[in-house]
Amino acid sequence: MADEDETKEYRWESGYEKTWEAIKEDDDGLLESNVADLVARAKRKRAALKDTGAIQLGMMRHLFVVVDASACMFLQDLKPTRFLCVLKLLEVFVHEFFDLNPISQLGILTTKMKRSEQITVLAGNQKKHIEALQQLKDLSCEGEPSLQNSLERAMNGLKNMPAYSSREILVLFGSLTTCDPGDIQKTIKSLKDNNIRVSIIGLAAEVRICQEIAKKTGGTYNVLIDDHHLKELILNQVQPPAVAGSMEASLVKMGFPGGSPIVNDGTSDSSADHAPAYCLCHIESETSSLMGPNGYNCPQCGSRYCELPVECKQCGLTLVSAPHLARSYHHLFPIKPFIERAQVRETTHCFACAKLFVEAETNVYECENCNQIVCLDCDLFIRETLHTCPGCASDPVTAQMKTN
Amino acid sequence: MLELKRALDAKGHCLLEMPSGTGKTTTLLSLIVAYMKAHPLDLTKLVYCSRTVPEIEKVMEELRKLMNYYEKEMGMEQNILGLALSSRKNLCINPSVSKEREGKVVDGRCYSLTASFVRARHAADDAVPICEFYEGFDAHGKEFPLPPGVYNLDDLKEYGQMKRWCPYFLARHTITHANIVVYSYHYLLDPKIAEVVSKEISKTSVVVFDEAHNIDNVCIDSMSVKITKRLLDKCSNSITILETTISNMKENDSKRLEKEYKRLVEGLRDATIARETDMALVNPVLPSEILEEAVPGTIRTAEHFVAFLKRVVEYIKTRLRVQHVVQESPAGFLRDIHTKVCIDRKPLRFSAERLASLIRTLEISDLTDFSPLVTVSHFATLVSTYTKGFTIIIEPFEDRAPTVSNPILYFSCLDSSIAIKPVFNRFQTVVITSGTLSPLDMYPKILDFHPVIMTSFTMTLARPCILPMIVSKGNDQVAMSSRYETREDTAVIRNYGNLLVEVAAAVPDGIVCFFTSYLYLETIVSSWYDQGIIDQLQRHKLLFIETQDAAETSLALINYIKACDNGRGAVLLSVARGKVSEGIDFDHHLGRAVLMFGIPYVYTQSRILRARLEYLRDQFQIKENDFLTFDAMRHAAQCLGRCMRGKTDYGIMILADKRFSRADKRSKLPKWIQEHLKDTNCNLSTEECVQICKRWLRQMAQPFSREDQLGISLLTLEQLQSEEMQKKIQQRAQGV
Repeated sequence: MADEDETKEYRWESGYEKTWEAIKEDDDGLLESNVADLVARAKRKRAALKDTGAIQLGMMRHLFVVVDASACMFLQDLKPTRFLCVLKLLEVFVHEFFDLNPISQLGILTTKMKRSEQITVLAGNQKKHIEALQQLKDLSCEGEPSLQNSLERAMNGLKNMPAYSSREILVLFGSLTTCDPGDIQKTIKSLKDNNIRVSIIGLAAEVRICQEIAKKTGGTYNVLIDDHHLKELILNQVQPPAVAGSMEASLVKMGFPGGSPIVNDGTSDSSADHAPAYCLCHIESETSSLMGPNGYNCPQCGSRYCELPVECKQCGLTLVSAPHLARSYHHLFPIKPFIERAQVRETTHCFACAKLFVEAETNVYECENCNQIVCLDCDLFIRETLHTCPGCASDPVTAQMKTN
Repeated sequence: MLELKRALDAKGHCLLEMPSGTGKTTTLLSLIVAYMKAHPLDLTKLVYCSRTVPEIEKVMEELRKLMNYYEKEMGMEQNILGLALSSRKNLCINPSVSKEREGKVVDGRCYSLTASFVRARHAADDAVPICEFYEGFDAHGKEFPLPPGVYNLDDLKEYGQMKRWCPYFLARHTITHANIVVYSYHYLLDPKIAEVVSKEISKTSVVVFDEAHNIDNVCIDSMSVKITKRLLDKCSNSITILETTISNMKENDSKRLEKEYKRLVEGLRDATIARETDMALVNPVLPSEILEEAVPGTIRTAEHFVAFLKRVVEYIKTRLRVQHVVQESPAGFLRDIHTKVCIDRKPLRFSAERLASLIRTLEISDLTDFSPLVTVSHFATLVSTYTKGFTIIIEPFEDRAPTVSNPILYFSCLDSSIAIKPVFNRFQTVVITSGTLSPLDMYPKILDFHPVIMTSFTMTLARPCILPMIVSKGNDQVAMSSRYETREDTAVIRNYGNLLVEVAAAVPDGIVCFFTSYLYLETIVSSWYDQGIIDQLQRHKLLFIETQDAAETSLALINYIKACDNGRGAVLLSVARGKVSEGIDFDHHLGRAVLMFGIPYVYTQSRILRARLEYLRDQFQIKENDFLTFDAMRHAAQCLGRCMRGKTDYGIMILADKRFSRADKRSKLPKWIQEHLKDTNCNLSTEECVQICKRWLRQMAQPFSREDQLGISLLTLEQLQSEEMQKKIQQRAQGV
């Protein structure tokens, strides 16, 4: 289901659609332009969802993902079951999350039988989370979930996180009921006091209390339509949210381990840096083996890691590499959305991919800064992947300005 | 609005069906107020009748908003006075009286503090307690009218506190010159109260009956009397009290009795004077011929009257001592009473008036004890006044408990038009409106009036926010129906249970279920318990049940709301025609789904109903079956409408009975429900129904913003003024 090219759902599973009504003939009695228009509109809609209205985005996030594991997660309206579908999508999510937010941390909780269980603690190691998620697949789903318990638990984990990071909880909630020990309103209030944002994705229908929690804590509440929509909704959470007003700015200490396995050139304390050592990420596992000279050493305590970003197990320093930070950096300065405009005669090809504009494509997109014109596909690519405008970057003047 | 304007122009009556939550109240208020402003001579007053106190408050809130808007747009104070009126219980600010809970006790206590002779006594002797607020009002309040504005009950109380005037009497006094009066139906329909409160409302008024789908029953109730054995026993007690008081008074102050006697000889002239100017609403209990006549000699003196009452009560007592059901016409009753205890028709007719006069003379300040006696005297007057449209039924026992002797005399009004006729005759425009009035043509028939406008409106919606479905069979293909023959069938009960469980698993938050009767509810719940369905249900949601006990039900309701708010979800099992189905709204998450188990026919074995049906057939040519279906469907629609309170709301409506899919039932649903009831959703099994629900709920859960509605169900000012829209409106105006 995670595959892009898989068909939506079987026809007999979906609703009764009047597909012919969406198609109308144009003036010449042709359908072609209309189909192209429909496709373009769908693409554009996706892009528009990621509205860049936020002024400042949280670079450093602490996120708890709460997965409902109650009886209703065994329902098969998502294939194969809701639970497996959600877990699979979460794997993608974890991967994307660390890709976009390298210096953030994530933890996973489940809730079933009116209780809440911690699967992984807040940590920045994506392998561990993905492993845990894969193990979860064998978990049996039973009983009722408890929103309150899981929120309280997540809150306890998040409470002590530094104030400059954004604290978030993402709940994937399949049930329509919650079985709570106490007054959930109090929990909502303390979530708010602790500046924790709760976003909820419902798998069945709109539940009032979820709506309320999300609204009061400044998160979002969405209910899926089908598995594709669910994927979209989950991946929407990858983008860091706008910072709530009260977050303080402060300096964070970070380590940039000497990365490249260069041959000893005498500039650094080479013998210690590149001697074979156990890496700390895998030291606990059975199959750990002595690592070669390649790896990253913590500049503070010298522990060896095979992967970045990571939080040093010895001294607690956040270890990142410069490209990681740069990747997070674009959250701070998102590119402005391109302006949609009718195709003009003078420009015959897309600036980015040099594709010739055909007649059917009526709309092109213009960057506000450099006034270069790109096609729809490039517009989406720039927005979703590149995060920088090729026009601005190739123009020496604007590029200079930006780096200054 | 257009229709309403036409009705106002034509000075005729109209019947409007508008779905709830679409701004019915606002529309009515704003148009009528505007009309009042434009034609101050044609239309002087708006009387808005609603059913319950919360509804009255809601109307006042709307009115206040409207007035604020007027003020903002026109930039000056508006010279319009609107006020709400309710019973003493809701308005009293006297600390010693208002702490009483029961309405009747409050009335009695108030009377004992404010009656004229009590106040006279107080003037002589300071120890006699009176109400300082009433005194304050009497001394100053009558001269100073209430400043223009909108007053709801709390505002009146506050104003009363500030000025130390009694808010109740202030409100009653102000009715005569207020522009907008909002109060309960009974002030206009119940002849006993209407006489006191509403008689001075001018002819050029508009009367609006909101939530009027039950108006015929209200009319009938206000004219019907029910006499039980206990009531008669109480009567005997109060007669004894009367006797002793009279004999006391005779010793002390015989002059007063004499004076009364003289007055009675002269007849009830003063009442006639009031009526001559056509100011008063004609009281159907007291027909005008009586007023011209003098009180007959047999009951003129106090002792004679008391003896007379005693005879009447004793006679009714003997009548109650029957072993089998008796049904007779008022004429038969009169003949019988004449032969058995030699009571003529004429004195009977005067008994209500005479009793009131006697109580006044005797200076009895605590009226509460006398209410049974008053009931009997009303009965006597009614029975001797009307020979048509009424029937007397004496049942020695209740049908449910045939062994327990509990004789009841029903004096039942069969013709709902009697009580409402004066209202139609008197006021130039009467607007009857509700969310569920279908089928519209029935109301003019049973209320016997000729509306100039009769329309049912639908909603313009940006999304299909109601999902009516008719579920006719369970997963095992056994038809679901509450038909008498199949209602005990375990397969049917099980299917109903499974339907509820499946729906409960698919629908979030609150679900309300309606059964056809308390009895049916009880049998179903007990067999669900045996079948383990209750257990299954409680896995998904908490379960609450409406009972006949009001306190218990309100407790259940509070907890139901709490469970919905906390996200646990709840199911409320209640009864069509019960308290829940009438007055309580389940908006948004409180009612995401309504299930109607069976068609809520009235209890057809009831003799009162049978008599009424017969009467309707003879008088208005309405077939029994038509009326029953009409009545059942309007209650079903009423129940279904509970979940839908506004355009942003959404709810599922499930009609679980095979018979609903028949054309004669379906076509009687309100238009705004019918519009969404597609043919494909008319004959579903449980499973299909749940599938549809799930998909629909997901669609409904998608974000729904104001922008989506704009241009479809909401119009901005620019859009309204745009040419296209204007054209559309023009077209509609001509089309209708």
